[in-house]
Amino acid sequence: MAEANAMHVRLVTPDKIFLDGYADAVSLPGRSGYLEALYGHAPLLTELGAGEVALHGGEFDGRRYFVAWGFAEVLPDRVTILAESALEPQEISVPEAQAELERGQRLWNEAGEDGARYQEANAIIHQAEERLNAAQGSGHNQ
Amino acid sequence: MASVLDLRRRIRSVKNTRQITRAMKMVSAAKLRRAQERAFAARPYARMIASVLASLVRRADPYDEKTGEPASPLLVARPEKNITLVVVTGDKGFAGAFNTNVLKQARQFIIDRDGVDIDLEIVGRKGRDVLRHSYPVASVDEDRRMAEGSRRSREARVEITGEHGGILERLSFDKASHLADTLVHRFIAGETDAVYLVYNEFQSVIQQRMVVKRVLPIREVGQEDVASARELTHEEREELAKSARTAGVSLSPEDTHEADAEASKFGTANVDYIYEQPPRQLLAALLPRYIATQIFQALMESVAAEHAARMTAMDSATNNATDMIDAYTLTMNRLRQAAITKEIIEIVSGAAAL
Repeated sequence: MAEANAMHVRLVTPDKIFLDGYADAVSLPGRSGYLEALYGHAPLLTELGAGEVALHGGEFDGRRYFVAWGFAEVLPDRVTILAESALEPQEISVPEAQAELERGQRLWNEAGEDGARYQEANAIIHQAEERLNAAQGSGHNQ
Repeated sequence: MASVLDLRRRIRSVKNTRQITRAMKMVSAAKLRRAQERAFAARPYARMIASVLASLVRRADPYDEKTGEPASPLLVARPEKNITLVVVTGDKGFAGAFNTNVLKQARQFIIDRDGVDIDLEIVGRKGRDVLRHSYPVASVDEDRRMAEGSRRSREARVEITGEHGGILERLSFDKASHLADTLVHRFIAGETDAVYLVYNEFQSVIQQRMVVKRVLPIREVGQEDVASARELTHEEREELAKSARTAGVSLSPEDTHEADAEASKFGTANVDYIYEQPPRQLLAALLPRYIATQIFQALMESVAAEHAARMTAMDSATNNATDMIDAYTLTMNRLRQAAITKEIIEIVSGAAAL
């Protein structure tokens, strides 16, 4: 079933194998920025930050999933993504994300000199922003 | 002496009980099947985390070559002066010796480690109800729960620091990872020197054991650090097998060897990976997730084991009810016959007297 240049993509969450199929390209929210994997990509291990995993081509063309944290292995012919949770854009609750964003901002304000708390607050803000982006992104495309 | 009418009433009541236990058994069987499926579905993720970690440990030295500093504080073993014990029981009773066994194992653990301070984190309402009678609840500053030094003071050697009732019912990874975060935090802050888990491990209906497992510090990734274990006895296994068969639960789990082997390949291909982040950093980021996965897995297995135990308990209850009905029916028939015989004797002797 695999086409010549299709990559085997698997998205695995703690509950189950969320998605298992073939795609031409996958874009991943790497910790230090988005990266796109095509067939023949060099072997790579990366931690994923909050953001969107998007699939292009193949049976899941155009599917996008929001992941909050993850870990990915890229091999020339396959991509395996471990994600703590995977949400479709329409599953994201905007008010919830908004509340989370506000919570993050409040923490950020309260953090003061404490580096660890500052970092934690930043992580929350980043995640909430990405989540909002993902949710709104689906609105534009439809 | 009970009359025929009394016996008939007794029989009716036992029959009603039997219906209930039979229904409960079938419900448990259905829940067990679902729990089993969930536990299997969750295996790939756990395997992948473990295998990528193992491969990272091989490639990146977990301890710095020059300074000998570990990549993550979770790898540091300290003398165990203060232990956190996570006791995984069920939320409900009627599950035979399931909860009792867990609590027995936990008590034994506490007795064995005399002179060591122990904090209890209790999962499941049943464990909480029982252990609260024996041990005081630690006074913790709720506002600063996650922060360092949230503990006010220790009043007893064994204290309850956390209760997690009701998380098993709709178990999600979030809940397990929340618990894991608390434990990791406490370990890093130095409030506890080791974290042990006591729970019922569940491989399949007839492959279960009660284990005490150390999850922190991490000794060796992918290796189970079992402190003590109690296997099923032969009788228990027979009983489980029998009740599973009558409830239509398959004994042999689905064949997951292929999927497992596939999952263990994750992150271990024989190539030079490009690391987006330094391997040591990846390692440090993955270790807490590894703990969370382990706890999630343990909770899920415990849920499956609880349903299996309940199913077996209800099966024997149903059988006992049947035995009782048989016995009562026999007594009732005998009584009735005795009455008839007596009447005939009366008639016959009356006729003979004429």
